[in-house]
Order: sequence, then structure tokens, then C-alpha cells
Amino acid sequence: MTPSKKCIGVVPFGDVPVIALKIIAAHISVYFDLLPQILPPLKLPEHAFDQKRLQYDAGIILRSLESMDSNPCEKVIGVLKPDLFVPIFEHVFGEARQGEQCAVISLFRLNKNPDGSFPTTAIVYERAAKVALHELGHLYDLYHCEDEKCLMHFSGGLDDLDATSLYLCRYCSMYLKYNISH
Amino acid sequence: MDKKMSIMVVDDEEIVRESLYHWFKKYGHIVETAASGFEALEKLEKYPFQFLFVDIKMPGMDGIELLEKVKTEYPDTLVIIITAFGSIESAVKAMRIGASDYLLKPFKPDQLSLVMERISHQKKLVSEYNYLKGRLDKISRFDNIIGQSSAMASVFDIIQEVSQSDTSVLLIGETGTGKELVAKAIHAKSQRSHLPFIAINCGSIPDSLLESELFGHQKGVFTGATHSRKGFLEVVSGGTLFLDEVGEVSPKMQVNLLRALEEKKITSIGSREPVEVDFRLISATRRNLEKDIDNGTFREDFFYRINVIMIEIPPLRKRKEDIPLLAEHFLEKYSQETTKHVDHINRDAMTLLKHYDWPGNVRELENALERAVVLSKSRTLGVEDFSFIQPSGIQFPQSLSLREMEKGYIKKILEEKNWNITQAAKVLEINRVTLHKMIKRYHLARPIH
Repeated sequence: MTPSKKCIGVVPFGDVPVIALKIIAAHISVYFDLLPQILPPLKLPEHAFDQKRLQYDAGIILRSLESMDSNPCEKVIGVLKPDLFVPIFEHVFGEARQGEQCAVISLFRLNKNPDGSFPTTAIVYERAAKVALHELGHLYDLYHCEDEKCLMHFSGGLDDLDATSLYLCRYCSMYLKYNISH
Repeated sequence: MDKKMSIMVVDDEEIVRESLYHWFKKYGHIVETAASGFEALEKLEKYPFQFLFVDIKMPGMDGIELLEKVKTEYPDTLVIIITAFGSIESAVKAMRIGASDYLLKPFKPDQLSLVMERISHQKKLVSEYNYLKGRLDKISRFDNIIGQSSAMASVFDIIQEVSQSDTSVLLIGETGTGKELVAKAIHAKSQRSHLPFIAINCGSIPDSLLESELFGHQKGVFTGATHSRKGFLEVVSGGTLFLDEVGEVSPKMQVNLLRALEEKKITSIGSREPVEVDFRLISATRRNLEKDIDNGTFREDFFYRINVIMIEIPPLRKRKEDIPLLAEHFLEKYSQETTKHVDHINRDAMTLLKHYDWPGNVRELENALERAVVLSKSRTLGVEDFSFIQPSGIQFPQSLSLREMEKGYIKKILEEKNWNITQAAKVLEINRVTLHKMIKRYHLARPIH
């Protein structure tokens, strides 16, 4: 099936709160002016689980998303609750390959503040939306941005993530519009 | 952090290469990967990567060996070592050899960002250092004349001395030795430096036209003289006139010039009114003017007028120690002009350049470097890039034995260095004692004049 333009799939992996998916979809619609679609849940690929690290390998999950049958969307974002890693890093909030079709994000590290306290649900979902939009930006070939307030600024930890806004800076916004239309 | 950097990830594990590749791509950097040290060196020959992320443990060539080679061949490339927990000792060793930093796998994403920031800062410092070093290197240069040989040091000393006086200077040297550069240097250091420097190649202008160029002409004095024109001797007014190939000037013109030099007055063609002129004359020739005087083609009085001080510029084959410095200078020049990333000359190619006789001197060397840079497909110039150079040297019959060839070559170098043992040993890359032994073994003797 040919992917329909501007349709962004949001795919839960396993048990993911529906509210989280809906909030992510709403943010994609409002902030990126794209058409999100929540897709049926997928099973987490067992071979993506690393027994030593007790985390899921983001690269393997991305490959399983890429091989998904009958994908109706131009870009797809997978959402899961367990922790994610890429081999060189201890963890990642999300992972996307520059300019490609699929991204994946994890909610695991979003529900506990760096000081050990627990944030409100609203903050947790706002964080999830930021990570999803950031990874979607990479799928539309946006690079990490030096502007600390820009959504595309790299966040190494939750403090950084909370400090970035949901908005793209002028330049990233311009590139996003261009890349979506081309 | 720089907007765009060129990075190569060297790791035998595909998953690590892939992870770092995608990570750096997210910053818009130019990223390449290599599965081994050998592949990395091949890629470095073709493209000057600024940063290398190298895994220590790799089959074949390990990260330490690769680091050593990179630091020798491409010292400007910064290397960051990636190591697993437990191989800290190797990481420390790598830092001692010249690695810029190291990362312990797995690391936090922001650790990588911090390392990148730190090495970017380091790179900036290196650039500043290179800039300052470049300024220091200019001590080896003298108003664009490059040379650190003793032969050129004498030339620089004379330039310094004569520039303070106003006497006529005659520059003697083969074609391509840089006579005009020396003339410009004298002018630049003289009190006339703020006034014009005019260079005329007497060999390329017909005699009739040369007279008009130097002395000027009045309107209508000959066909095509549609308006009056001042000659260079007048235009130069207070500056320096450089007459290249002065040996080609006709005897008639020599008389006119001699009169201008003595009287400090000229009369343009078709005019009766003499005009006062003031200029410093520097002449140059590749001819043996004394022989021309004997043959009657050059006037002796003119010769002595232009030859108050003579500076002999040595041919490149007599200052071969300057070849690497010159070659590097031209490499940098044409690398920048052509915007090709060619920044190295390998040892074999440099040896070839040092052993070639350069009959066209510095100009020929410059042309050779320009041609090699333009046609090179790699960042390092090798012998194959100079295949158009035909090594001259002494011609040996094909049946010559190795012993006879060695004898002939040593004799040639000794003669070139005027039997200066220290200098000849340096060229031959052997010590003086060995050279003495060889002279004895081959029964070589200094010719008696």
C-alpha cells in the first residue's frame, strides 16, 4: 500500500495508556500540522530485549516497525513503556534515523524526576509528546539544533527535556515546512 | 560546537558503527564508518576527517596502532578512543600517544555531546596554534622568498644591505629562480617602497616597442601613436624599475638607458624637451654578460653601470634542502586555490622531488605541485602524482654494476656540494665517517684546480 501523505502513525508496543497515545497524536496535529492516526498495538519483539542490560534495543524495534505490513502512514512512531537503549548509550528517550520512516520512544524514564520525586501525569505526557515530536523532526530530516529552547535541541536528561519548549525555532520550523512539502 | 564536522567511526562491530553514524547524522555532520584500521587509513588518504572515533579492540590493526599511524601521518586529525569497561589501561596509553579523549562504552548521550564540545574547543586551540606556528614559519620566508638554506640566507643578507642604498643591482640566476621576487623584496625594504615598482621583461618586447615603453612617445610620431604617452622611466617616478632579461636589450637601447641612468633625464620619442627622472634600477639576467661583452653584444660601460652590486640567486639543485619547505608552501597554496583537500606529500614523493634537478628551478617546482594537486584523487601526493617528472641525475649505462652506480652517485653529490663532506653526507643520508670510508673505498679525490 502506498503511504498516504502527511499521515503519521502512532503505534503502541504492548500495553501503553491510550491517553498517552492520544496526547502524542494531538501534539502532532497541533504543533506539526500533520494528520496523526493511532494504529493497532503491536507485540514487543522478544529478541529486542537485552538480558544483560534489561532494556530493549531501539535499533531492533525500529527494524520491526519498518517491516510492518500494510502501513498506511508516511511516518510511524512506536511508543512503549519499557526502557530503551542503543548499544553505545546507557539509555535513550527515543530513537529515529535521520530522514527515514520510523521512530520509537519510551515512557520509562519520563515518570520520575532527576531528584527522585514523581511528576504530575500532565508533565509525564508533555515529556512524551516532546520526545515524540523531536524524533518526528528527525524523520523529517531536522538536525539537532543549537537553540536551547528549540524542540530539536538535544536533551541528555530530563532537566534538558523540561527546559526545551514544544516549539521549533524559526529555522527548524522553516526546514520542517520545506521537508514536509517535499 | 562547529556547525558541520567530518567524523569517521572506526569499529569492527557494525552495531556500534551504525549507532554512532546515526547519532552524528542527527547533528548534520559528515559521517563515514570503517570496519577496520586499514579501511580507516584508506579513507583518510582520500578525505581529511577532522575526528576519528576509534574502538581500541579490533582484529588486525587495533585502535592504538591506528592512533599511532594517524598521529604520524595526519597530526591534525583528532582521535577519540572508545573503550569498554576494563580496558582503561589501554585508554590511558592512547591518551599518552595523542588521543584527544576517551569514552567508556556504554555512555550517556550527553557525555558524547560534552566530549564533542571539548574536542571542538581543542580543535580551535590547535587551529590557533597552527596559525601562530605559521607566523613563526614565516621567519624562514623573506618577503615571499622561501628558503632556509645557507645559500638563500646569504641572498637575504645582501637584500637587506642593498635595500638601504640606492645603487643599481644586477640579479644573476637561471630561469625560474625567483629574480623578480628578489627585486620586489629589495624595493619593499627600500625607502622607495611606497612608490611604484615596475617590471619590464626586455626579452619579450621588440626593441622599437621597448624604446617607446621606456621613454614614451609624442602623438603622431609613428603609425599608431594616436596620443602622447609617458614612458615607464617617467611613470615610475621615484620608484624602482626592474628590467628582466636585460641581456636581451639591444646595444642602441643600452646607450639610451646608460644616458638616462647617468643624466637622470630622458627625452621621449618625437620630443625635444628632456624630462627629469628618478628611479632605482634593478636588472636581471640568466645570460653570462661578461661573455656577451667579449662577443661585443653587450656594452661594457652599461654593464658596469647596472652592475654596481651583483646578487647571484642559486639554482634549486644547489639548495635542495629548501625543496621540502617550498613544496609544502606550494601544496598549501594550490590546495587552497583549488579547494581540493590535498595536504600531504608522502615520503617517497618528497624523496623524488628532492632528487630531481629542477632545470626550471622554483617555477618548475611550483608548476609540478600545481599540476599534482589539480590531478590528485587523494589527499596525499605520492610518487604516481609526479609521474611527469623525469628524474635527471647522472645517466648511467644500463650495464653498470651497483658498485659503479654507487661510486658515480657519491661523486656527483660531492661535486654538487663542492666537496663539503658534511653537506654531501646530509644529502646522502649517511654519516660523515661512512662517507669518508666510501671516498677511500672508491678512490675518489677532490679535483685540483
